[in-house]
Amino acid sequence: MRPRPRIKAKDLRALAIITVVAVIAVAGMFNSALSGAGNLSSFGYGLISAVCPLGAVEAMIAANTVIPRALLSLGVVLLLAVLFGRAFCAWVCPAPLLQRWFPGRRGTKNGSSGQDGPDGEGGQPGPGAPASDSRAYRLMRSVGFDSRYIVLGGALVSTAAFGFPVFCLVCPVGLVFATIFAVFRLFAFGELTVTLLAFPIILVLELVVFRKWCTRICPLGALVSLMAAANRFFRVSWDESKCLEATQGMRCSLCHKACSREKVDPRGKEPAARGPNSCTKCRECTDACPAKAISFPFLSE
Amino acid sequence: MTSSKRTDACPEDQAPAALQAAAGDSPQASAGHGEGGLRPAARAAGITRRSFALGCTGAAALLALGGAVQAFGSDALVRPPGGQDEGAFIAACIRCDKCIQACPEGAVVPAPLEKGLLNARTPTLDFKLGWCDYCEGSHAGVPQCAALCPTEALRLPSGARPEDVVIGKAYIVREWCLAWRLKNCRICVDACPYDAIELNGDGLPVVLLDKCNGCGLCENLCISMIGTRIVDKATDRAVTVRPTAVVEGLLAREAGVGGRP
Ligand code: SF4
Ligand code: SF4
Ligand code: SF4
Ligand code: SF4
Ligand code: SF4
Repeated sequence: MRPRPRIKAKDLRALAIITVVAVIAVAGMFNSALSGAGNLSSFGYGLISAVCPLGAVEAMIAANTVIPRALLSLGVVLLLAVLFGRAFCAWVCPAPLLQRWFPGRRGTKNGSSGQDGPDGEGGQPGPGAPASDSRAYRLMRSVGFDSRYIVLGGALVSTAAFGFPVFCLVCPVGLVFATIFAVFRLFAFGELTVTLLAFPIILVLELVVFRKWCTRICPLGALVSLMAAANRFFRVSWDESKCLEATQGMRCSLCHKACSREKVDPRGKEPAARGPNSCTKCRECTDACPAKAISFPFLSE
Repeated sequence: MTSSKRTDACPEDQAPAALQAAAGDSPQASAGHGEGGLRPAARAAGITRRSFALGCTGAAALLALGGAVQAFGSDALVRPPGGQDEGAFIAACIRCDKCIQACPEGAVVPAPLEKGLLNARTPTLDFKLGWCDYCEGSHAGVPQCAALCPTEALRLPSGARPEDVVIGKAYIVREWCLAWRLKNCRICVDACPYDAIELNGDGLPVVLLDKCNGCGLCENLCISMIGTRIVDKATDRAVTVRPTAVVEGLLAREAGVGGRP
């Protein structure tokens, strides 16, 4: 009896993302019970909506006031991060899927090697870094400090200085939906604007020129990672008693290699790996482990 | 995959030398990209020099973007009810499309990039598609755009009535107006729910500024440019609603050159 072919993680993720985008696009295009649902920057029904956490923070900084609904939603998003960590970045955000589709991109395929070097060039101290245990150092290590947080800082400082949500202007999530709706409006209302051409170009620039947008630049991902430091549930877990390294003394490391995007080590062994709050719960490591030592929190077989 | 290919695709590798210098590595420490090139602060944070430089480049790019957008300025647009304080509006709008989708009249549209990068995707009113009745016909006078806005970019005082929220002002371009050129059109005069357009002594339509609420019904119904251009060189309908300050500027200029009685 052959084992049933299981759906590959990357196909499952694509399905999830396409569903999210399709629901939002359809709700936005047709007059329906969901009219006014919004795009992913604030999607919901009636007065209840999940506002983008970065948008919410930016709006409150720029407007220099507390915005009740934005603050409330920020709390809800934090709760979601406690539950699911950074799963948004693998299962909801359209950017990674677009990166897979765009031509000229290598190594995005399911856990393939050759993404970049073994060191991952960021987010982790080399072996020569001092074993400082100042509180600031430990805090930074626990959130896995990397370039994204500096970009996030830049986004917030710029927002404060110039008085509008600066990152929203170039956010790939916003641009994806802006492009979809611009195409819709072209057909529905004959609105032919520069938008139609310019937004996809900015998108391609961001996601193709900066291949590592998600892992190195995206301030939204950084904010979600920051919140995911509080992630307590649905974590990828490693069962040492099944791991080939423990049972057979082999040098396997397939799980860590499978995490080619985020460079997390599900075993928590690799000193140079990024912290668990960078984990997007993409399931690649689980699929890669020959001994089924890594269990995935949801959507397992 | 070969490792020789990988370097040329890394954005980190392309970070300009100047920026890397700005990121603070001293010349003698810049030999490799490894721990040798770390400056103390970055080292304490557990971040490589290259990653630090990339982060700073990104942060600088966003600061430059904010500054450039601010410096270039942007066109004044008519906003849905509650967005009339442009500074407060632009501070809070996250371009979420809710107000656009919520408008039962289909009057709220995303501003195109042509109106400036800052305005792109923010809501504006297109009175050719619909006019604003403050949702009196469909939602008992509770403007849906403002009600659904999650960030209070559109914000109405409680119990606001249409008269308290002036969207903009109608302005008639006389050269394009059928009545002014050929007589016998009074569509806008009859349509205006606020009685803000009346016929002057010569039977020609004029806007009463203090009565006009900017609802856009006149523009919506104006026939001067439906289908083809009835009037030569007209680029828009004869009556259009524009931001109050814009119309005041236009009128002041006309008064200045003594154009209008
Ligand atoms: S890092 Fe940013 S662009 Fe990438 S998946 Fe997460 S939110 Fe989307
Ligand atoms: S640790 Fe596993 S689930 Fe998490 S990002 Fe890496 S491969 Fe995906
Ligand atoms: S008040 Fe109602 S009709 Fe007017 S713009 Fe807002 S949603 Fe549309
Ligand atoms: S609902 Fe508010 S935040 Fe969303 S696009 Fe409209 S004005 Fe902007
Ligand atoms: S916009 Fe036109 S129809 Fe509306 S109040 Fe002003 S003059 Fe009247």
